[in-house]
Amino acid sequence: MLFGRKKRKPIAIPVKKVNEWKYTTCNYCSTGCSIEIGLDEQQKIVTTRGHAGADVNRGKLCIKGILEHELFDSPGRGTEPLIRDKHFDKFEATSWDHALDSTAKQIKHIQQQYGRDAFAIVSSGQLLTEEFYTLGKLARGVIGTNNYDGNTTLCMASAVSGYKRSFGADGPPGCYDDFEHTHCLMAFGSNLPEQHPIIYWRLKEALEKRHFPLIVVDPRVTMLAQFADIHLPITPGTDCVLINAMMHVIINENLQDQGYIDAHTQGFDEVKALVQDYNPKQAQDVCGIDEDTIRNVARIYAKAPTAMSIWTMGINQSTHGSDGVANINNLNMVTGNIGKPGGTSLSITGQCNAMGTREWSSCSGLPGYRYLENEADRSEIAEFWGIDPEFFPKKRGLSQTDIFPAIETGEIKGLWIVATNPMTSMANTARIRKALEKLDFLVIQDVYQDVETNQYSHVYFPAAVWAEKEGVHTNTERRVNLISNVLPPYKNAKPDFWIFNQMAKRFDNGHMVHFPETPEGAFEEMKYLSKGRLTNGHPRHLDISGMSYAKLETAKGIQWPYREYEVGLKGSARLYSDGIFPTPNGKANLLPIRFYNNNEQPCREYPFWLNSGRVVEHFHTRTRTGKIGNCNKFSPTAYMEMNPDAAKTLGVEHQSYVRLTSRRGDAVVLVQLTQRVPRNMVFIPFHFHDCVNRLTLGLLDPHSRQPAFKQCTTRIEPICQSEAARINAERRAF
Amino acid sequence: MSRSTIEGESELVSPKRGDVGVYMPEKKTEAASNQVEVGLEQKGRSNHWEVRTQEQAYAYLPKSDPRNKNEVENRYGKRIDLVELTDNPVGRSLFINGNPEVGTNPDRNKQHGFFFTADNCIGCHACESACSEKNDNPPHLAFRSVGYVEGGTYPDHKRMNISMACNHCDDPVCLKGCPTRAYTKHAEYGAVLQDPETCFGCGYCTWVCPYNAPQLDPVQGRVSKCNMCVDRLEVGLKPACVSACVGNALDFGVIENTPENRQQCKTSIPGFPSPEITHPNIRFQQTKSLPEEMSRTDDMPVKYRKGSDGQYRPTIDKGNDKESDPKIGKNRYWNLSKLNSRENPLVMFTLLVQAALGTFIIPFSAALLGIDLFEEFMASNLFLPLVLLSIVMTSLGLFMSVTHLGKPFRFYRGFNNLRYSPMSREGFGLALFSTFLGLTALLLIPSNSWINTAISSLGLELGLDLDLDINLSSLTTNMLLERGVVITGIMAAISGLAGLYYMNQCYQIKARPFWNHWQTGTSFIGNSLSLGAVVSCMVMLLSTAGESLPSMRAVQAFGFIFTAGLVIEAIGLIGHNRTLSRSENEGGAAHYIQCTSFGKTYLLRNGLLAFNILAASGLLLAGFIEVSESPADQSIENEPFFLAAWASISLINLITAVIGRALFYNLVIPTTMPGAFFWKNKGFEQHARDIGLADNPATGVAPLAH
Repeated sequence: MLFGRKKRKPIAIPVKKVNEWKYTTCNYCSTGCSIEIGLDEQQKIVTTRGHAGADVNRGKLCIKGILEHELFDSPGRGTEPLIRDKHFDKFEATSWDHALDSTAKQIKHIQQQYGRDAFAIVSSGQLLTEEFYTLGKLARGVIGTNNYDGNTTLCMASAVSGYKRSFGADGPPGCYDDFEHTHCLMAFGSNLPEQHPIIYWRLKEALEKRHFPLIVVDPRVTMLAQFADIHLPITPGTDCVLINAMMHVIINENLQDQGYIDAHTQGFDEVKALVQDYNPKQAQDVCGIDEDTIRNVARIYAKAPTAMSIWTMGINQSTHGSDGVANINNLNMVTGNIGKPGGTSLSITGQCNAMGTREWSSCSGLPGYRYLENEADRSEIAEFWGIDPEFFPKKRGLSQTDIFPAIETGEIKGLWIVATNPMTSMANTARIRKALEKLDFLVIQDVYQDVETNQYSHVYFPAAVWAEKEGVHTNTERRVNLISNVLPPYKNAKPDFWIFNQMAKRFDNGHMVHFPETPEGAFEEMKYLSKGRLTNGHPRHLDISGMSYAKLETAKGIQWPYREYEVGLKGSARLYSDGIFPTPNGKANLLPIRFYNNNEQPCREYPFWLNSGRVVEHFHTRTRTGKIGNCNKFSPTAYMEMNPDAAKTLGVEHQSYVRLTSRRGDAVVLVQLTQRVPRNMVFIPFHFHDCVNRLTLGLLDPHSRQPAFKQCTTRIEPICQSEAARINAERRAF
Repeated sequence: MSRSTIEGESELVSPKRGDVGVYMPEKKTEAASNQVEVGLEQKGRSNHWEVRTQEQAYAYLPKSDPRNKNEVENRYGKRIDLVELTDNPVGRSLFINGNPEVGTNPDRNKQHGFFFTADNCIGCHACESACSEKNDNPPHLAFRSVGYVEGGTYPDHKRMNISMACNHCDDPVCLKGCPTRAYTKHAEYGAVLQDPETCFGCGYCTWVCPYNAPQLDPVQGRVSKCNMCVDRLEVGLKPACVSACVGNALDFGVIENTPENRQQCKTSIPGFPSPEITHPNIRFQQTKSLPEEMSRTDDMPVKYRKGSDGQYRPTIDKGNDKESDPKIGKNRYWNLSKLNSRENPLVMFTLLVQAALGTFIIPFSAALLGIDLFEEFMASNLFLPLVLLSIVMTSLGLFMSVTHLGKPFRFYRGFNNLRYSPMSREGFGLALFSTFLGLTALLLIPSNSWINTAISSLGLELGLDLDLDINLSSLTTNMLLERGVVITGIMAAISGLAGLYYMNQCYQIKARPFWNHWQTGTSFIGNSLSLGAVVSCMVMLLSTAGESLPSMRAVQAFGFIFTAGLVIEAIGLIGHNRTLSRSENEGGAAHYIQCTSFGKTYLLRNGLLAFNILAASGLLLAGFIEVSESPADQSIENEPFFLAAWASISLINLITAVIGRALFYNLVIPTTMPGAFFWKNKGFEQHARDIGLADNPATGVAPLAH
């Protein structure tokens, strides 16, 4: 000791007293980080740590993952099933049997009276894959409604649609390891440091080992944009113009990979013809990126030995979402960058198991990337489940974003919402509120009973969360990973898997169709269904038949395809490396993407672009992170980024409240002045209830039906500060 | 796989038994055999922390770089190997949680420090949450915090996040300031560790630290801080925050070592206070060009401007134009309600104690100087009540200061660091002042005729035959007793003045430039004189009823001292204004707030002070004329007028002093780290409390009351 001290003061550092570490995968975003949960001798959860041996995160976790173990007994959790006659009555606690019986009765009643499709089901990207598979079986094979979708329509539908249109099937072809090999990375509307910190770290590690150009397309100066070698501050919604202009340069300067194009794609001539209309000279006026920069970026991308593109909601959440994805795929196919180490299209997925729901939930078709539209798929699944193939509809029904308008028109009378919170997450809150109010019957199945949508429900099922259950997730890079059951469900909450199984028993078809008792049993069914060949004769890509829970834990996740004869624990890092695609003739589709502008544009009345997005400390509608103080404290209430120069002309001050209005409604937010956003744009995190989505338009993408959350307009008005403070405090129940 | 037996081992070998904690190998094997299962990663490492299965390279501390062997001293000339500065043996346990095992880190006796690559930080909060998770910190506390500065114009906008914890400084001002000796700088890693169990929650360390490292928990009423994760260091792992960093921004190692892949090793970045204050053990890399001006998003009116030497220095953020101002603007406000704050006890403490010092020292020293009026007073019956009043005021003041503590019942620990802490010395001086005054009072009792009468009448009333042959008053003539009063009085005055000196020293803090000025001293002296003169004058005037002291002359004398006190304070304020209105640092910013947010209040205080000086001077002059014109020992006609006038001025002065002191406490802006928009933003914290958001603990804003 220094400074003349002789007497030693005790050093006390908290000790977690971990007796056992249990393996699991993070339940927030789709990075797919391996987490070990530490239990003490009383089997109480005391800490978590990243698994240092897991390839995805290599021991790292983001703020949400580090604190995730605090969510199990957070406030607002559902403890008992609840029931009431009308949404304005008081809830009463009830038994599971009664809650399930009443629900089954109501579903049957609605279906008998208005037709099978009058009862809709909206699920999530947050459940475990076995649960999605079981819900799909319940919805498609037992209850038999065609209006069944997931909230993935709000996040990844455009990627799914784009992949399907380009490659013939869903499934991101790349992986994180591509960062280690690429020579140029272009990020479209993706803010990795905020949204996927661990993927960002993988990218940063690669960049520190070997620098390569990082090009970021984003209207905001995010940290990633700031760190980029080239930042393209694009006009919202015009990515397709930028990409077309890039391809104009590439093709006209003969920089394309003609060998790859000829061997593995079709439609090049159409694309070549189309991009002639997108001379950078004209394109610059639309997309806001000057022609020199467009040429420069196009040349860098095309000349790189391998180049890759990543994207997130900046592309997906727009009226050109599906087109944007297809066009990114075009760019990569034209430059020969699909299925190569460092050369790929890689959508950065949002929810932990958005991939799982895409693969196995039957939301947009039938399990295992099968289509309702395909007769062979219908009979295969019907036979396996033991039902009449005619029970299946022959065409996909409504997506989540069309289900709510169908409630408005009276087409849909009953709704079952599982693990999603449209009252906060969907565009135009007022419209959603009105729709929910109108329902004859609404069931909410959620971990939290204070989830905002629950205010309109008739029955509430308290669900177990994360490691209170067992099953698998699939992450952004197609890696299937295990969630071990670490602790029993909270109070009288039940695993979603159990709830679906119990519901199935209450329907006629439920007695014909086999519902395995355990998630592992369901996993076995999925494995079986993943085997086989595509209609083009090539082996299925979504093949998980070689996997088992034990293997997944040992390998800390395995990427599909991983077939049953596979040796070792390494799955397939990339798709389409052989240049064969799941299209009828095995060739990928180059699709000419013509841009049209149907977005609400800033005008005199509503002069600001309204942009929304994520912050790192929160997940989705804050039902979980809003209650974990060490997450929530970094943004405990809604705020808006606004340009100081714009604020000056309006007399708006830093750290004061303003009222925003749009053609849909109004919102009150705290102003954060920053040059991060341009003068004609404001940015509001979407996590907060009764905030940005009171304003958003959410125009739908024609292919994916995904709403354009990020392209609408607003006006900024003054508001009495004390009144605004009161409104703000009232709207933050948590 | 568990290694959670550390607690158990502490039972095996009591640290108290060992001779200053020297490593005892035979005990170690005993402890090790108690382990359940040791992972491959743990081999050859001590048991302070369980190394993760397949732990990654980034988490391990690098092996000492042999190239750096000749780095004996850091850039400030301080030895890096610290054990040589102590008489400690090399292989000595830190006894973390009582664990006697000695860490296996070969560099454990070297000064370590954080290395922050400011170019890389993405502000993702992973370091903060890893720290809070490891240390079980509630939302409103954090040993590590990330704030940011930003500048430029869209799209050429740059945000620089700064992750900051304790810098385990060479010159730990926290350690030196802490009156309870809760801080220890260990030779092991040079870690500055704080013991919350010793702390009594005065928060003085949070005042002196320029980096906001010590965290005062208003709920628990004590300070806690970064412990450098010494448990992880002992096994050769980097601290939890560093291991958690996903931006590759945070690193850690032996100080002055530049990590692999880094080119710079500098001591400052924009937003970081001057390293000269404490010689912090943190090094930076910041190679990317930043705009000339970087602003803060929190409510501190401070931004940073690049100087000709390329260094960024704080400057006042007055906004860009008069009309619309991102921070405060140039308008003047009252904000009187904000003066009523949790610092109220300190306002009362300092004013009461200063008044008490003046109350006693003014008449006492005047008497010592041989001014007959005061000699008479000192010999009178009223001197004892004056001494007692002074004791009461001091005690009340000290009591107020104790209520300001997070753990008031630990107040006695306040004298534990006389070696370094001005606060300890202040408290000690004031305690001695009270003690000696007590002795003075005791010695005054025998000569006080009131007491004597009271005692004898008490005796009569009780019908007691006291049989006191010798009347206490007979002792009055005892020269010894009289000399005793003088000696204890002198001792009291000396300790009181020492207390006042160290009270001033408490505020001469480099991290608080608003206080770090001689004005603090003039204000303390001025208030002692003006408030003390009023109190002692009142006591003396009371005597005119009972005793025959000439009141007008006394009023004139005290009036002179009172006026002198006001003038001294005014001179200080003028000097303070002069310095700070030219200052560009946090002191200037605080003064800027004083002139804007509290502008009207500040003007009022200054106006009142000026008025008081003029009025007091006028009264003095008028009084002088009156006294010189009227014959001695005769009452003056206008005496009631004079008394009333002086009383009014005194009252105004009391208000002025309270406002002034409240401004002093509430306006100070520390040279602390930039905050974020919500977290570590005082403005938002206050707002959250005002509108009720803070009622939800997940907001991360703790209630202030304690």
